[in-house]
Amino acid sequence: MIWLTWRQHRRQALFTLGALAVLAAIMVPTGLAMHTKYDSLGLPACREALGSASMITQTEAVSRCESLGHQFQQEFSGMVFVAVLFVVLPVLVGVFFGAPLVSREFEQGTHRLVWTQGVSRLQWALAKFGLVGAITVVLAVGYALGVSWWFRPLVSASTGRLTYLSFDVQGVVPVAYTLFALALGIFAGTYWRKVLPAMGISLVGFAAVRVAIEVLARPRYLPARTLSFSPAGDQTPNPASGDWVMSEGVRNAAGELVLPNARIGPCPPSGCGAGPGPGEAGAGAYNWMEFQPGDRFWTFQAIETGIFALLAAALVYFALRRLRTIA
Amino acid sequence: MELAVQTRALGKRYGRTWALQDCALDVPAGRIAALVGPNGAGKTTLLHLAVGLLRPDAGEVRVFGRDPRSVLPDIGFVAQDTPLYRDFTAAELVTMGGKLNRRRWDAALARERLAMLGIPPDRPVGKLSGGQRAQVALALALAKRPRLLLLDEPIASLDPLARREFMQALMGAVAESETTVLLSSHLLADLERSCDYLIVLQQSRVQLTGAVDELLDTHRTLVGPRAGSESIAGVAKVVRASHTERQSTLLVRRGDGPVDPLWTEHEVTLEDLVLAYLAEATATRVEWEVPA
Repeated sequence: MIWLTWRQHRRQALFTLGALAVLAAIMVPTGLAMHTKYDSLGLPACREALGSASMITQTEAVSRCESLGHQFQQEFSGMVFVAVLFVVLPVLVGVFFGAPLVSREFEQGTHRLVWTQGVSRLQWALAKFGLVGAITVVLAVGYALGVSWWFRPLVSASTGRLTYLSFDVQGVVPVAYTLFALALGIFAGTYWRKVLPAMGISLVGFAAVRVAIEVLARPRYLPARTLSFSPAGDQTPNPASGDWVMSEGVRNAAGELVLPNARIGPCPPSGCGAGPGPGEAGAGAYNWMEFQPGDRFWTFQAIETGIFALLAAALVYFALRRLRTIA
Repeated sequence: MELAVQTRALGKRYGRTWALQDCALDVPAGRIAALVGPNGAGKTTLLHLAVGLLRPDAGEVRVFGRDPRSVLPDIGFVAQDTPLYRDFTAAELVTMGGKLNRRRWDAALARERLAMLGIPPDRPVGKLSGGQRAQVALALALAKRPRLLLLDEPIASLDPLARREFMQALMGAVAESETTVLLSSHLLADLERSCDYLIVLQQSRVQLTGAVDELLDTHRTLVGPRAGSESIAGVAKVVRASHTERQSTLLVRRGDGPVDPLWTEHEVTLEDLVLAYLAEATATRVEWEVPA
């Protein structure tokens, strides 16, 4: 079975390796450039000094560190678009590896050849899914490690790794997304039994599930924390905390949100801009924000990985059940 | 008598249409059985049920007394249009067969056959001719050394010469073994000379089944005076009747005792027999409602 699976998919596998090699040829130099620049700006040390508390005292050092971060982001702003490419990679595994796995056999009628040999369908399916799954895991782990390394300077110079996009391409969730995409492709292939519809359905299905979980479920994995701070004080949110700010604004003395997505006071050394002054929000107005603390990164990763791993397992189960009855 | 294939009230449905209904068959071991019927009669469905690709919706099918899926190593199957992995070479397909049939696989037999037929081992089978591909598929099925060989329209897409070569190869291969063969075709002429057992399928039902010599023995063509619908002595059933102004020609199944001497008896050919049963089934079909 292993021989057959390899023989059938070796071209795909080699093609994938080639594509990944090309990708690596682009990512390694740009990643090195980002790491070097990050270090030469002195960002590691200044970020280290800020610690990971949510609020810190506003000092000269804090704003200097923040402006260094902005400088770094300016220089590599184009790289964020490259990161979008990484978000798309897992679905390609589902579309090009998963969807044709069973449906191509049906399309070419070869299921009638391979399912009438001395190997049971279940053995056939387990060997095939197992081998392709194992290769996928290896590729996905390499991809997750590589992207985590490549993305680290950009993420720590900006809003932290819990925010959208940077959460999605780091840690262990990319592996879970990839396995889910593969399982979805296989499942679609056993139900629609034509390569192109199966590909389309796995593409659309993956996007729908990913967006739904990302937007609806992820912000609620743990209850968000809230924080209020006075514009008069010298406390400011820590740019290095990695907190994921979900909403913020200015509330008046009665607690009503009067200025959404705004913050008042304390002014940076460069002077206050034309932003909203305390006068507009009335006396006693204060800054408010709702956020997920940055140190929940691995908890959130574990929860999201668990969700997608369960979904993948369920899809494989239904695909196997379906395989027993179709011909 | 051991039965290679046995079905009882077997039925398979696609949506609301029955592709095969109420099918009762016994194919004794050691026979070469022809499964004949027009396109869409249910031949492929019956073969797929016998090889475990499909599960019945009614009744049951047994192969050597067991569930087909549990005797897969004993069944050789060549599906319609002989599906093969088209980018594999013939040699790779033989290797694949060995990997998928660990219990019994005669790679030497397959290679010998392919070499004898002059099939190149190192070209993708997708680039071979239809006849050569059919031969590769047959060689793969035979290398399992099956006790039952099922072939679904193996020669339908071949030219006449390739048809003859294929049938010769098949008969040569099974002659020396005890293999039971069940092969389907919508053309009786291809199978007539080789088969000793016949199954006629029409409109998802079995119209006729039995050993060829018995069927020929029990059926007669009668020619006599123009007849009505009255029964004739010595005739169990009139399968088909055709009339001219003065005389009637009947294809009948004989009953006990001699036939009424008013009628002249003639032996039937297998083709007459099959056509008569197919025509009878067509006549009883629900017709389109066409205003007179």
